[in-house]
Amino acid sequence: MQSALFHTTLYISLALCVLGLLWRSSAWFRVRVGPDVRAVTLSQRVGALLRGAASALFSVRVFHILGALFLDVLLLRRLFAKEKLRWLGHLLILAGFTLLLLMHAFEAVVTVKLFPGYESTLAPYLFLRNLFGAMVIVGIALWFFGRWRRRTGLASVRRPMAAAFVALLGFVLVTGYLLEAQKIASPQAFYRMAKRFSGTTDPGELMPLRALWASEFGVAFDDLTEPMTPDVMAKGRQMHDDDCASCHAKPASAFVSYPVSRLLAPLTGFLDKARADIWLLYLHVFACFLGLATLPFTRFFHAVAVPASLLVNASAPNQAFSAAGRASKRALALDACLRCGICDAHCSVAPLARHLGNPYLLPAHKLVATGALANGHLLRSGHENEGFRVAEGAFLCTDCGRCTNDCPAGLDLEDLWQAGRGDLAAAGLPAPAQWVQALPALAWAEALEAAHGQHTASDPDASCAPLSADRRSFSRCVQCQTCTNVCPVVAQSIAAEHRVDLTPQKVMNLLRLGLRDLTLGSRMVWDCATCYQCQENCPEGVRVTDIMCELRALAVHRLGSVRSGRAPS
Amino acid sequence: MTGESRNTFDVAVIGAGMAGMAAALFAAERGLSCIQVGSGGGILFASGLLDLLGVHPAAEGRQWRSPFNALAALAQKQPDHPLARVDPVAIRTAFESFVTALGEAGLVYAPLGDRNRKVLTSIGTVKTTFGVPLSMVAGANALEALDVLDAPDTPPSCLLVDFRGLREFSARQIAATLADRWPGLRHQRIEFPGFEDAPELYAAHLARALESGATRERTIALIKPLLGDAQLVGLPTVLGLGRSREVHAAFEAGLGVPVFEIPTMPTSVPGLRLLGALEAVMSARGVHRRRQASVRALACDANTGTATLDLDGVPGGERVSARAVVLATGRFSGRGLTADRGSVRESILGLPVHQPASRDAWHQRDFLDPSGHAINRAGLRTDDAWRPLDMSGKPAWPRLFAVGSILADQDWMRTKCGSGLAIATAWAATQQLADQLHGTAA
Repeated sequence: MQSALFHTTLYISLALCVLGLLWRSSAWFRVRVGPDVRAVTLSQRVGALLRGAASALFSVRVFHILGALFLDVLLLRRLFAKEKLRWLGHLLILAGFTLLLLMHAFEAVVTVKLFPGYESTLAPYLFLRNLFGAMVIVGIALWFFGRWRRRTGLASVRRPMAAAFVALLGFVLVTGYLLEAQKIASPQAFYRMAKRFSGTTDPGELMPLRALWASEFGVAFDDLTEPMTPDVMAKGRQMHDDDCASCHAKPASAFVSYPVSRLLAPLTGFLDKARADIWLLYLHVFACFLGLATLPFTRFFHAVAVPASLLVNASAPNQAFSAAGRASKRALALDACLRCGICDAHCSVAPLARHLGNPYLLPAHKLVATGALANGHLLRSGHENEGFRVAEGAFLCTDCGRCTNDCPAGLDLEDLWQAGRGDLAAAGLPAPAQWVQALPALAWAEALEAAHGQHTASDPDASCAPLSADRRSFSRCVQCQTCTNVCPVVAQSIAAEHRVDLTPQKVMNLLRLGLRDLTLGSRMVWDCATCYQCQENCPEGVRVTDIMCELRALAVHRLGSVRSGRAPS
Repeated sequence: MTGESRNTFDVAVIGAGMAGMAAALFAAERGLSCIQVGSGGGILFASGLLDLLGVHPAAEGRQWRSPFNALAALAQKQPDHPLARVDPVAIRTAFESFVTALGEAGLVYAPLGDRNRKVLTSIGTVKTTFGVPLSMVAGANALEALDVLDAPDTPPSCLLVDFRGLREFSARQIAATLADRWPGLRHQRIEFPGFEDAPELYAAHLARALESGATRERTIALIKPLLGDAQLVGLPTVLGLGRSREVHAAFEAGLGVPVFEIPTMPTSVPGLRLLGALEAVMSARGVHRRRQASVRALACDANTGTATLDLDGVPGGERVSARAVVLATGRFSGRGLTADRGSVRESILGLPVHQPASRDAWHQRDFLDPSGHAINRAGLRTDDAWRPLDMSGKPAWPRLFAVGSILADQDWMRTKCGSGLAIATAWAATQQLADQLHGTAA
């Protein structure tokens, strides 16, 4: 390969990679998620990083960081705890790729220095190169198998270029194997080497060596017709020992390339003529450079962002982060998410996401939306419906914390969700409890009446409100006031600004009177803590709390349609 | 609760009103494993006062100073009445046992004597009852002193206090009603500390607030200047929920005079206290509770001697089996009995209900007729061992028992014997039940 071209391309790729990394990592100091970090400045964030790094590195915390580096970054402990198969796959990719990089790509600066007798065509390097490549391929296969097995039934989120990146990685491996196979079988390569090390290219003179190499090293000579007598072979071995053995072991240990070279043997002559060794090398190397140059913008960026996130998390307990530190941690989390989908598979509201057909309930989708909102891509005009759906997803999350617990990258997702909800509220998409309570119950009932021309509880949606639509569920109410007596919300709602408008038994009474619409926007329904005291104590067995929950769901549905001026989705 | 997965018991008690609670308690005290199904919400209608037998006969409205004399009279005149079928000594033992258990759970009653007590109600009338919570007994003492002394210069001076916004209790109304009989009775209204902004107060919220020492001190400080010459202070029943003993003692210590509570209208604090205490009793005695459950089906197998209960209201449903069943499902509001246009039926097994021959005979012409209505005496008839009878007049199942208000031939509301009926029949039935189970086990 021409050195100038190689080096020019290498340095251009390297420069692009460095610039890309700088740009991507600058986002960790630019992007703001959450109202609590809106006022944070760039200098504060850089300061927080420096202070955080200093205080972590010069305290016992450094052992946390070392532990995280070894257990979380190198051994992928968190993934191991969740999914053994994917852990195995990822570890194979990580180990195989890293070892290939060190032993093969960096052979001139690493392997040669460590192992003075190193030649890429000697044992065990032939075998090891094939092994590392095979590890990566098996790893990729396992990873996809694990992903397929854990599918949620909803479209999963993928990085835009994820498939292209994997294809590129595969391409590098395949061209590498093909190049090696072609070189094993190529007579041309044989003659080139023979000229260099034994000073001749005369086929007759080289015949014994050719005979040996044809039988033991897999070179596919098409003109080798002489019988291979033991004498010839012995002479060939002598020549081999003199000129070749110091650099060449038998290629059979290249357990992928060698069988491939056997398969390709019939084509070798043609490939030699076409100079396959050169263009395969170009393809192999330039694919690597392409990977290097695009690394900051592909899935492979996680190799930078995830370790960064794990180490930052290990540097201090969550509550010790300042607003500036939190801002950077959240921005980093947006980049460190791999869209691996483990959180989606374990999400406790996943059934609801399927039922509503709204993937924004699922963590991985929500993270993308949170990032889009922070970057200003979400709420463009014409995408209002998208915003409503994202808000629906954000506010139906139960904060159960499973996603945070299960995230193999150790992201503090709960914090991210909370911050994202703050951003949504600030963008005019607050929680239903907030937008409903912005108007008094009576105003909502009037709005419903104006919109639908009906005020009473004749209901077109009995299926989604089975309790409040069926008078048998509250007709036993004797207005004994037990529900109100045991209600901690009523007990705490003393000050005028927090006072509930209706008590639970008044809500039941409105239902009895057929005035359900009057309850939908009521503070009692929306301030209910769902402690179930009322329901557990009701002497008549009225499912008071269940009805409250249903009224809320109904309110989101019906008042939401009045609010957005459109039919409920 | 331990052993939630357990599904075989000695006794299944269906119902968690007074009778169901008493049956479960007595069964547990007799060493039987017990499961109880039902919410206990009916207890909330209770006043915390434990009636034994206050009035007999209903038609005359005669009130009795001694419930045991009343029981004797009842046995003479109405031998079929369930209370008349229980030995009065056993009734006394049963009450002692019930009250002791409640006391252990923090709801302490005054020692039971031989006489009925007189207690003020929240509208100023006087109610005859038997078991009185310790926090109410000073009022009963004072009220009875009015009768006994009958000397106009000696009634104790008493201050009744109520709270602005607590609509269910008016000290002024009580004082006005009793003005003629009780000259030293005054009333005052105060703001409940911390609730000054609330337009409407709920007794349970105040009771919970008074369990905090700070609110208690502020309330006592508000009442103290109003005491004047009062030798006694009466308050609505708001002195704590689970810690009523402590709150009541703190008020007496803080005010320096006896303090008594007046039962508020049901449903309110007395019912919540009683339910809380009974739940604690059930838990302490190892009774397995299924609060939110109801019995969908009950099958009593004559061959195996095992009853199978299919429960609703438990996630995924539940099936339990028991060697004996106590039916304590109450009457109409408890849903033990169901009335349709033609007749009354027993809700779970469809047992024959003793009832008027036709709907025309359910009620008297006069709704307020003091002798009551025939429909109020409808219910299950049992043999001597408290086993409800089937169509042929034989026990429906050898170990199926019925207790409490579902029993026929009584009108507990008019004769003020609800708790007595529940506790006495539960005691008697669990005695029979234990004898049978121990007999079969031996």
